[in-house]
Amino acid sequence: MNGRERVLALLDGQPIDHLPLMPITMMFAADTAGVPYGRYALDHRVLADAQCRTAAQYDFDYVSCISDPAREAADCGAKVVWFDDQPPALDEVDALLADKSRLRRLARPDPQAGGRMTDRVQAAALLRERAGAERLVEGWIEGPCAQGADLRGINTLMLDFYDDPGFVHELFAWVIDMELRFARAQIEAGADLIGIGDAAASLVGPHLYDAFVLPYEKRLVDGVHEMGARVRLHICGNTRPLLTSMGTLGADIVDLDYPAPLDEARQAMGPRQVLLGNIDPVRVLRDGTPESVTAAIAACHAAAGDRYIVGAGCEVPRGTPPENVQALTRYAQSTRF
Amino acid sequence: MIDLAQLGAAVERGDRDSARSLTQAAIDAGQAPQEILDAMVGAMGVVGRRFQAHEVFVPEMLIAARAMKESIALLEPLLVQAGIRPVARAIIGTVEGDLHDIGKNLVAMMWRSANIEVIDLGANVSPQRFLDAARQHEPHLVGLSALLTTTMPAIRRTVETLRQAGVAAPRIVIGGAPVTLQYAREIGADGYAPDAASAVDLARQLLGLQGSPS
Ligand code: B12
Repeated sequence: MNGRERVLALLDGQPIDHLPLMPITMMFAADTAGVPYGRYALDHRVLADAQCRTAAQYDFDYVSCISDPAREAADCGAKVVWFDDQPPALDEVDALLADKSRLRRLARPDPQAGGRMTDRVQAAALLRERAGAERLVEGWIEGPCAQGADLRGINTLMLDFYDDPGFVHELFAWVIDMELRFARAQIEAGADLIGIGDAAASLVGPHLYDAFVLPYEKRLVDGVHEMGARVRLHICGNTRPLLTSMGTLGADIVDLDYPAPLDEARQAMGPRQVLLGNIDPVRVLRDGTPESVTAAIAACHAAAGDRYIVGAGCEVPRGTPPENVQALTRYAQSTRF
Repeated sequence: MIDLAQLGAAVERGDRDSARSLTQAAIDAGQAPQEILDAMVGAMGVVGRRFQAHEVFVPEMLIAARAMKESIALLEPLLVQAGIRPVARAIIGTVEGDLHDIGKNLVAMMWRSANIEVIDLGANVSPQRFLDAARQHEPHLVGLSALLTTTMPAIRRTVETLRQAGVAAPRIVIGGAPVTLQYAREIGADGYAPDAASAVDLARQLLGLQGSPS
């Protein structure tokens, strides 16, 4: 079984040979390929090369287009701060929608217009070409809360939930329309699966999540499914209070960051849900030893059961010793079905 | 007389309009500024505990702090008149290279609501800017926040810069998701707190202030 077959078989409930392995790598991949992260984020050829090298070196079952959450916002016209060897970020002081009336006049960027979104679409195409049928190709979009925060400014958005709920709905509806077009372009370019990153969603509690975020995430999940691709939901941070709701989305894979216990997620989302995670990226994966990483991932597997994919709670941090990542590979490959 | 428990409840709910009008009514009724202040300090303490216990989340913290801030603005002239001054002064910022500011903002708010004067330097603050601000404001307390493993070394550099320059020995406390007590010890900081409510306890403990009136 190759990596792509393995992941898809697990998702479809078919027999697999061993657990799939899908840790998120961004800065770690750039470092593995010896390229500064600024170039990784700017040039899909650099990204694709680093992803393929990293996946080959550690025998990952997939390669991914993920790099930073600022692609869509950049194409919308938001001010992006660039660093040589770090991911670009948005400057909240100059948030694009600091004046919320601008939303009505804001044009949705075309993912094929040659901007940063296009670079990701090209990454999907190049990864498909390079990975062939061997590995799964993951595209990436932002969820409503994360992208809404990128455009509006995260501190302001947090107040909007109470001050102007109507605006939040309008913003999120606008965002998911843009994200679905972005997803479609990546799927047409060859992505098998779309990751939805909604990091900021873990800052709100279950009431706001259910009322504002969940309905739009649901539209994203359903929309990507209609396009014929699979969905991986990735909300970093503490999603413990949100687990039951997240389980209703129908995402093919739900990632859990280290503060959200896998056994609780299993309980909340039922026996069929494929879960991924969730060793502590810094304290265990980066700072641990192959032995402690193996023990931690075995504990995750035990808590999640067999509908499970090996990975960390979030991105493999820069500076993680190669032998600790190899410990994940060895663990995944040592499982037998 | 205004029932100050109602004011506290309004702050806890983040109901800025009620909090302001109750504060104004209490002022008009001639209630002691210190008591009005204490009611709000107590309320923010409650909100901080609920945040710590994951009963409320970032938006609720932010609206509660805003309700208190706006009410304090009404009270300010009376506090000054009555000679009620902040119990300590702090500077806080997110370290160089790091743009995350939500956690730092929450800590600043909780310190303010514990009647500590806070000068917020914002995010992406260089060691030199921390040093300049420390020289200018002579704080009792310096708070450094970092959310990225890649910017943790900037905490160390900032601590070293402040220590080497020998600015009037403020207590330096650090925090942010990847930071640990062990790291704080390693780099010679005076303390670490995992969340905003504990950051208040830590400040009180390091500065020898008494606990919350609630
Ligand atoms: C919001 C966010 C952003 C926003 C920040 C907006 C803003 N104005 O703050 C944006 C989009 C700009 C952003 C950018 C990036 N981010 Co970011 N971000 C987050 C997110 C979703 C939430 C962080 C947060 O606000 N938490 C809530 C607050 C309340 O918690 P807190 O900060 O920990 O603060 C509490 C305590 O730590 C403590 N505390 C905090 N400071 C202090 C200070 C003192 C003195 C004390 C005593 C206590 C204390 O008290 C606080 C309140 O209780 C997290 C993921 C997550 N869900 O946790 C990622 C996360 C922090 N980001 C991450 C990364 C990698 C980045 C980027 C590098 C790339 C990227 N993924 O986009 C860029 C870097 C930009 C830069 N140079 O800074 C990683 C960090 C990984 C690591 N450990 O290094 C995280 C964990 C997500 C992830 N795994 O990818 N991000």
